[in-house]
Amino acid sequence: MKNSLREQLGAWLFLSPFLLTLAVFFVYSTGRAFYFSFTDYNMFSEPQWVGFANYISLFQQSLFLRALQNTVLFSLIVTVVQCFLALVMATVLNQKIRGLGFFRATYYMPSIASSVVITLIFLWMYQRRGLINYLWTEGRRHAPIIVFFLVTVSIIQILQVVIERRRGFPARWVDPALTVMSILIGTAVTAGAWVFGFIAVRDLPPVDFTWLQTRMRIPESPEFLRVPVPLIAIMIQNIFTTIPTLMIMYLTALQDVPKSLYEAAEIDGAGATQRFLNITIPSVRPVTFLVVTLSLIGTLQMFDQVAIFGDAVPLESVITLAYFVYNRMFPGAQLPQVGIASAAAIFLALFTLSLVLIQRLFIKSEVS
Amino acid sequence: MLFLKTDENGNPAGTTTEDSNITFWRAKRRWARVGIVYLVMLVFAVLFVGPLLFAAFSSLKINPLEYPPSLRIAELNPVNWVTAARLGNSGSGNYWSGGFAPGGDIPFDIQYFIPDGVEQQTPEIQVPRRRPGAGLGAVRAIEFAADHAEIHDLRVSDTEIGRHEVEDVERAGRFVTWSFRITYAGDGPKIDRVPVDILAAPQHYYISSTLPASRLERRGRVVSFVDIAPGIGRYVFRNYARLFDEARSVTTGQPLFFAWTRNSFFVSVVRVFTNLLFASMAGYALARYHFRGKFLVFLVLLFSQMVPAQVTFISNYLLLRDGLFGLSNLFGRTSLLNSLWGVIIAGAGSGAAMIEAGKVFIMKQFFETISRDVEEAALIDGANQWQRYSRVVLPIARPALGAVAILTFQGAWNEFFWPFIVLTSPEEVKTLPIGLMSFRQTYGAAGDWGLILSGAILSAIPVIILFVVFQKYFIHGVSFGGSKG
Repeated sequence: MKNSLREQLGAWLFLSPFLLTLAVFFVYSTGRAFYFSFTDYNMFSEPQWVGFANYISLFQQSLFLRALQNTVLFSLIVTVVQCFLALVMATVLNQKIRGLGFFRATYYMPSIASSVVITLIFLWMYQRRGLINYLWTEGRRHAPIIVFFLVTVSIIQILQVVIERRRGFPARWVDPALTVMSILIGTAVTAGAWVFGFIAVRDLPPVDFTWLQTRMRIPESPEFLRVPVPLIAIMIQNIFTTIPTLMIMYLTALQDVPKSLYEAAEIDGAGATQRFLNITIPSVRPVTFLVVTLSLIGTLQMFDQVAIFGDAVPLESVITLAYFVYNRMFPGAQLPQVGIASAAAIFLALFTLSLVLIQRLFIKSEVS
Repeated sequence: MLFLKTDENGNPAGTTTEDSNITFWRAKRRWARVGIVYLVMLVFAVLFVGPLLFAAFSSLKINPLEYPPSLRIAELNPVNWVTAARLGNSGSGNYWSGGFAPGGDIPFDIQYFIPDGVEQQTPEIQVPRRRPGAGLGAVRAIEFAADHAEIHDLRVSDTEIGRHEVEDVERAGRFVTWSFRITYAGDGPKIDRVPVDILAAPQHYYISSTLPASRLERRGRVVSFVDIAPGIGRYVFRNYARLFDEARSVTTGQPLFFAWTRNSFFVSVVRVFTNLLFASMAGYALARYHFRGKFLVFLVLLFSQMVPAQVTFISNYLLLRDGLFGLSNLFGRTSLLNSLWGVIIAGAGSGAAMIEAGKVFIMKQFFETISRDVEEAALIDGANQWQRYSRVVLPIARPALGAVAILTFQGAWNEFFWPFIVLTSPEEVKTLPIGLMSFRQTYGAAGDWGLILSGAILSAIPVIILFVVFQKYFIHGVSFGGSKG
């Protein structure tokens, strides 16, 4: 299609609403944030040029350093855990079976609701006598039964595999048919032992772990790894809501990996772990890049959960860089520190960008 | 078959029987694997939907923080539904929403176990003047059932000898049932609920009542009912009714939840239309035309996706505060803060909420995949640029427009950061997510989670419906590379 001057003008007209808003609300505002970051400005007076003073002052503020530490810990731990778990789950689910669509839709539920809805539900579950402490209590009470069951299943499984091998069948240690049998027999044996009183539920007081109003940090040392407990609560919630999304991205990619590759590896005697390491991980590398990038950006800029947890947790325990910016813009009773807020925001942007670039180089170099 | 070198007698393998043996052996493994995969999927489903469903069920409870948490919910027991409907009818003639109106006459029974050797004393029945809920509920003057209720005919209606376990010891004694009626004295307004407290003597152990007790206080001596004439609707969905009854605007008296829902719909729907129109126009221009500066526009578009909302919101907040170059006068105000139009027109993150860069990108990607032939034909027929776009291209673009509409609605409905910055006061100007957060502050501190959970569940329903109906758009949305929201 030839583009006359008239047509070009038309194109600009088509673009104009978008360009106008992009210019005002993105280009201008980014520029202004950049400018503010070099000034002392409280929203009411005229901005005063102060050079790099704001950036230097940032690194002298304990709240900022805490926000930086929280953000880095949060981002790295959550990204690693959720990307890995999403890939493992996708591998398990990568089967041609009926009803997959229904299950996929189900898993997607937590990620379509708003962050507020999910956070409120989790806050409720994190109460001192909430669902999470209850499940923990029940797990501890039933520990003898769970351990007995697992040990029984393992013993039966080992016995069965040995017998099958002696009969000449190529049974693997996690042979599915034998596992089903082991689980069924193990359940029966455990139920029997429970009924006849060989094992019993322990009588323990309810777990009263404080998830929210606490300054506790885990582990006690080293200093740079001490994660505040309320931040762990947000990590669990974040992993819970993001895994399904990432899993679906992985699942889409895995379905393009030819089945024959796995079959060939199986014939060559590669185990499930070897196939996972040598076939699955390399073939989804491009998706891994996307998933890790999205996860990094999302976690580095985590804001909603901190704001919604609000005064239910100590601020220092959960503050992130994104929330620090907000906190300096609207510091309650004090005057806004727009300069400091802008400097922190610019820092956050550069920090995100550089981490994404670094991981890109990292994954790229693995490809070659 | 390399493994099957010999059979049990040490003879060379490979006979027909052996082959069918190993085929059957392998088939068994395939079936078992499918079984295990279904089991694992079921476990995942419980893991991911379990918390949401549990919260949904618990939102029906009077106290969702009941310990131990249980799914045996009195509100879901059909026997109680029948009772609640009957009581509601006797209180106000309304089976569904109950209440207390002139002529109301509510019969009620309560049964205690009294061990042998304990003197039987008639319990005290009281209709307390209790305000429902905390904080936001306290602003409104309400009528109290206490001002109109009269208690009649308090008497023992039944005594039965029996044994009952009391503090881990089975004791002999008697089950005593007291009956009474609460009537509406004279004329007056209809009252929403009739709370009742029943104080019994020591060692009178509460067994049951017409409707199960809402809570036991003072070590079981006070049996408290939040409403003894609820009607079936108010009984099952009590917290949902409270959502609209209690939290009201200070100035207008309108239910806040209603205002927030309306605001959320307004913002979401307007954003869907502006994005459909402007993002498709921009995407079309970027996909179809070559002009100077196109690469730069595209670069800025991509870059805008990478800059965090925390960078842009500072200036955009100030722009709205100062009235956006006088544009605010169009809406008759000097500032666009605390205005829904402010939320729509400006934005944080990639540009304006009304034309999202991400949506422009989706449209551009789509237009690049469709053939130019039809447009060329229209060009020959003498259609101008706008006609080619609106009459030829847009109808073809229906699937992409559908995706943009649904993703925009979901994103707008769930958006937190930008509305949180712009909408701060009064309460009724907020959107649902921001409003729910103030619920958290007022009711969470009081440990009243029924209202918070029911608000959260109710606010999620529109996107859940949208998801169930248009599932494929959501799943595709993920592969468009957009994160959630």
